[in-house]
Amino acid sequence: MENRWEMLESSNEDREKLWKKNRTFAGDVWFRFRHKPTAIAGFVIIVLLLLFALAGPYFTKYSYSAQNLELVNIPPRMKVYEAPDGTGYMYITQSLKVVWVNKDGTLGGQLKKVREESESSMTIFDCNGTEVALYYGVKPYMMADPETRVLYPTRHVFNKSYTLGTDSLGRDILTRLMYGTRVSLMVAFVAVLVNLVIGIIFGGISGYAGGTVDTIMMRIVDIISTIPLTLYVILIMVVLGTGLKSIIVALGTVYWVDMARVVRGQVLSLREQEFVLAAKTIGSSTKSILVQHLIPNAMGSILVTVTMLIPSAIFMEAFLGFLGIGLQPPLASLGTMCNDATENLRSCPYQLFIPALVICLIMFAFNFVGDGLRDALDPKLKK
Amino acid sequence: MEPILQIENLKTSFMTSNGEVQAVRGVSFSIGKGEILGIVGESGSGKSVTSMSILRLLADTAVIKEGTITFEGKNLIDVSKKEMRGIRGEKISMIFQDPMSSLNPLIPVGNQVAEMILEHHPDRKKEDVKKEVLELFSRVRIPEPEKRYKCFPHEFSGGMRQRVMIAMALANKPDLLIADEPTTALDVTIQDQILHQLRELEKEYGTSIIFITHDLGVVAELCDRVIVMYGGLVMEEASIDDIFEKPGHPYTMGLLVSIPDIKQDKSVRLMPIPGSPPDMTNPPEGCPFAPRCPYARKICARELPEFIELGEGHRTRCFLQYPDAPADEHNPFRR
Amino acid sequence: MSDQNILEVRDLTKHFKAGGKQVVHAVDGVSFTLARGKTLGLVGESGCGKSSCARTIIRMYDVTAGQVILDGTDITNMKQKELKPLRKKMQMIFQDPYASLNARMTVRDIIAEPLIAHGIVKKKEAANELVYPMLEWVGLTKEHANRYAHEFSGGQRQRVGIARALILQPELVICDEPISALDVSIQAQVINLLKDFQEEKGLSYLFIAHDLSMVRYVSDEVGVMYLGHLVEICESNEIYDNPLHPYTKGLLGSIPIANPKLARQKEKSGIEGDIPSPIHPPQGCRFHTRCPFAKPECGEVKPQMKDAGGGHMVACHLY
Repeated sequence: MENRWEMLESSNEDREKLWKKNRTFAGDVWFRFRHKPTAIAGFVIIVLLLLFALAGPYFTKYSYSAQNLELVNIPPRMKVYEAPDGTGYMYITQSLKVVWVNKDGTLGGQLKKVREESESSMTIFDCNGTEVALYYGVKPYMMADPETRVLYPTRHVFNKSYTLGTDSLGRDILTRLMYGTRVSLMVAFVAVLVNLVIGIIFGGISGYAGGTVDTIMMRIVDIISTIPLTLYVILIMVVLGTGLKSIIVALGTVYWVDMARVVRGQVLSLREQEFVLAAKTIGSSTKSILVQHLIPNAMGSILVTVTMLIPSAIFMEAFLGFLGIGLQPPLASLGTMCNDATENLRSCPYQLFIPALVICLIMFAFNFVGDGLRDALDPKLKK
Repeated sequence: MEPILQIENLKTSFMTSNGEVQAVRGVSFSIGKGEILGIVGESGSGKSVTSMSILRLLADTAVIKEGTITFEGKNLIDVSKKEMRGIRGEKISMIFQDPMSSLNPLIPVGNQVAEMILEHHPDRKKEDVKKEVLELFSRVRIPEPEKRYKCFPHEFSGGMRQRVMIAMALANKPDLLIADEPTTALDVTIQDQILHQLRELEKEYGTSIIFITHDLGVVAELCDRVIVMYGGLVMEEASIDDIFEKPGHPYTMGLLVSIPDIKQDKSVRLMPIPGSPPDMTNPPEGCPFAPRCPYARKICARELPEFIELGEGHRTRCFLQYPDAPADEHNPFRR
Repeated sequence: MSDQNILEVRDLTKHFKAGGKQVVHAVDGVSFTLARGKTLGLVGESGCGKSSCARTIIRMYDVTAGQVILDGTDITNMKQKELKPLRKKMQMIFQDPYASLNARMTVRDIIAEPLIAHGIVKKKEAANELVYPMLEWVGLTKEHANRYAHEFSGGQRQRVGIARALILQPELVICDEPISALDVSIQAQVINLLKDFQEEKGLSYLFIAHDLSMVRYVSDEVGVMYLGHLVEICESNEIYDNPLHPYTKGLLGSIPIANPKLARQKEKSGIEGDIPSPIHPPQGCRFHTRCPFAKPECGEVKPQMKDAGGGHMVACHLY
C-alpha cells in the first residue's frame, strides 16, 4: 500500500488547469442557443423554408407562370359529386364549369358542354357519354343525372394534381409559393446584406471617429429616419420602375439607418473598453483595432439586429407587393400572391391564407431566432 | 454565547449551461448575539452565496440543495415568501458592495429609509418616522441630515451612499446585519470611517454582524471571530487572535504571508499561493486547496478532511492537523 | 540627465470637458521624474487623478498642458503616427483583467498583437517562438495559447495582460492598479512577476495603486496624489516612516492593519469627510477642507513643492 502521507506532486499544469471546456465564443453561443427550444424551432423552420424555396422548384412539374385556364380556382380540397358511372368525380368550379376528378384525386379536364338551357338555368355536360345537368338557379348548385335524379356532393377529396390548388389564372399555387418564398427571402437577404455593409461602415466610422464627425453623421441618420418609409420606397419605385431590383435598392437604402445606429452605439461603448485602449497603447493601427477588436465584439448585436431586420424587410416587400407596386406578373412573391387572392377572397380564401401563413411563419421563425441569439449572446446570462 | 443564527450543512448550487456549479458545499457555522463574524475568502469561495442563501436572495438559477438555517427557532429555508419578507430588513438586513445599485435612483434617500421603516411598521406616524430617519442619518455621520434627506442617490458620493445603506439597514434595529464586502468599492479613508462606524453601532445596538470580505486587514480591525472559506467549504474557524497568531490551515497561512506588511522588508520576496482557485463545476475530490497547497500529501487529493478541534472555538479542516500526521519537515504544524 | 531618467513629467495638466462649460480638473501641474530601472509608485484615492495621469503619460489622452519626456524625447504633442515607434518603449498593464483582454481572441493572438503591430513578426504563427517562452515565464503553459481569454481566471488573465505588455521588452511599463481587481492570494504572484522582470531586464515601472502596503513594497519612490495635485513625493520607506503631509498621514492611518492586537491599539487617525468634486476643486491647498491642521492661508494660496530635507518633497504650508 502506498503511503498516504507521501508528498503530493502537483505540477504547474495541475494548478493552472482550465476546467472550462475549450469552446470558442461562437461555440459557446451555439451551446446556449441550442438549449432554447423556440430558437431551435425558428432555426429549423428557416432551414425548411430555404429548402422549400431553393430545392422545391426542382420537384414540381409546373412552372410559376404556366397558366391552365381550364383549371382555374381549384381548391386544395374539393367537394365533389360522384359521376353517374362511378368511375370518378365531378367538381363544379366558380365559373360554373365542371371538372373531371379521377378516383385518386388527380384532375382531368373540363367536361364538354353539350348545350345550354338558359330558361331553366341549366347547363348540360357530357360525362363519359352520359349527360349530366348542372342546375345553377339556386345555391348551392345542384347536379342531376339523365334520370333527373339529383346528385349530391358525396365526399371531399384532396387535390392531387395541385396540392395547394390553383389561382385565378390556373397556376399551381405550390409552385408559385416556392418562387414567392424564394423572392421574398432573396429580397430580404440582399437588402439586409446591403444594410449590413452600409450600416457597419457608416456606424463604425461615426462611432470610432466620435466628436463632430459623429454628430454630423448621426444627424444625417436622424433626417433619413424621419422620412416616412413607405412613401420613400414608393418614390424610389416610381423613379427606378417596379421590379425586384428596385425593391432591393429601396429597402437597402432605408433600413441601414437602424443598423448604423446599432453599430455606432456598440463601437462607441467598445472603444472605451480597456482592451481597445490596450490595443492603442500597443500601437495597433486603426484598421486592426476596427477589424480585430471592435467589429468582432459588436458582431453579436449586429447579428441580432440582422435577424430582426430580415422579417421586417420581408414584411415590407410583401406589403409593397400587396399594394401592387412590387414585382410585376407573372413573377410571384408572397405579397403579390396575397394581392392576387383578394379578388376572389370570398370564394377562394385559401389563396390568401396560404401565402399569408408562409409570411407569418417566416416572421415567427426569424423573430424566434433573433430572440434566441440575443439571449445566447447576452453575457449577463452567462454564469 | 447564545447563537442567534445557526447554519447547518448548507449546500447551494447554480444550475448553468455549463453544468452544476457547487458554490457552497456544506457550510456550518453560527453567530452569537452581539458578535461580529468575519467570513474571509476569495472570489468563488462561496462566501457571498452563503450570505445570500440566508436571506434567500439568490438568483433563479440557484438551488439550496441541503441544510438548515435556524433563526429564532425557524428554518429560514422553509418559511413562506411572505414571512421571509417580514424578516428581511426587520430582523436581518443586508448591505451590499455596490451602494448605487441597491438604492432606487428616482426616490430621495430619506424617503427610501423611511419607506423601510413604514414597510414593517405601517401604523407609525410619518413625522415620527422622519425624525427617526434624521437621527439615523446623524448617527451614521451624514452631515446636514435635514438637507440630505431630500437628496437623490446620484448626488451622494460612494461613501455617503454606503452610509445611507447602513442607515437603511439599521432602520428597524435588526438582530443581524449581513455586510457583503461593504467597503471593497470604497477608498481607504472612507473604509476606515465606515469600519469605525460599524464597530460603534455594534456596541450601541448589540446587533450581530456577519462581515464578508477578502481583506484580512479589515477583518483584523473589526471582527471577533473569523471563518475562512475556500472552494465552497469552511477551511478554518477561529477567534480573531488565533487566526493571525496560530493559523491552523495552510490556506490561512498562505493568505497571511502573501500580503506585504506595511513594514515588510523589500528585499524579501512575497510568498504567493501558486496557481488559481478551483472551478466549482468540477470541484476537486479531496481538499479543494490540495493542488495549490505546498504541504499537500497524497491523501489530500483523494479525501476531504474532517474538522479537527485545535482549541476552544478553533477548528480546521486539514489532514496535517490529524493526530496521526507525520511530524516531518513538510508538516508546518508539527515541527 | 535625460539618459538617466526614462520618464520626466513637468507640470502635467489634464482637464476633461464635463458637459456644458464644466471642466474636470483631473490632473493639475504634476511633476516627477522616474529613473531608469526604478519604480515610482503613485497612490491616492479614487478620483485623485492617478489613472488620468497614467493615461495622459501614455498619450491615450491628449495633454492639456505641461510636458511628457520619454527617454529624452518630448512626446507631449506628438501625433499618434510619430508616437508609434516609441510605443515599443512604453507599455501599460490595466486594472481589470476581464475588460482588458478581448474575449474573442486566443491568448496567443493577444500576446502576439504587439509583435504584429510593430512588424516584428508578420504572421501569427511565426509569433509562437516568442509567445511560448513568455507564456511559460508568466507561469502558464503552451497549452494555454490556443484558449480564449474568457476561459481563464482573473489572476491568469492578468498574467496574460502582463505578457502582452512585456513581450516588446519595453523600458517603461505603466501599471494602472494591476492588482486591485485580483484576489489576495493572487496579488503576490503578479507582484513577484513584475519584480522578477525588473531585475532581469532593468525596466522601470510607474506603479499606480491605492493599496499602500503593496506600493511601498514595490516602489523605490512614492508620490501621493490628492485631487489632481501631487502633495508629497519621496523615497518609499521615508514616506511611510516619516509622512509629512497631513493627507499622507491620514491615508497611512486608514490602512487596516492585518494584526488584531495592533489594530485594537490603533487610535482613530483617519480623515473625516469626502473628497470634493474635481469640477470645483477647493482654492489654495486642495486638501484644506478635510485637513485637521488647516490654516487660513491654506484656503487661499496653493502650496508649492518644497524639499523638507533629504529629497523629501512636500506641498504643504506647514513645512
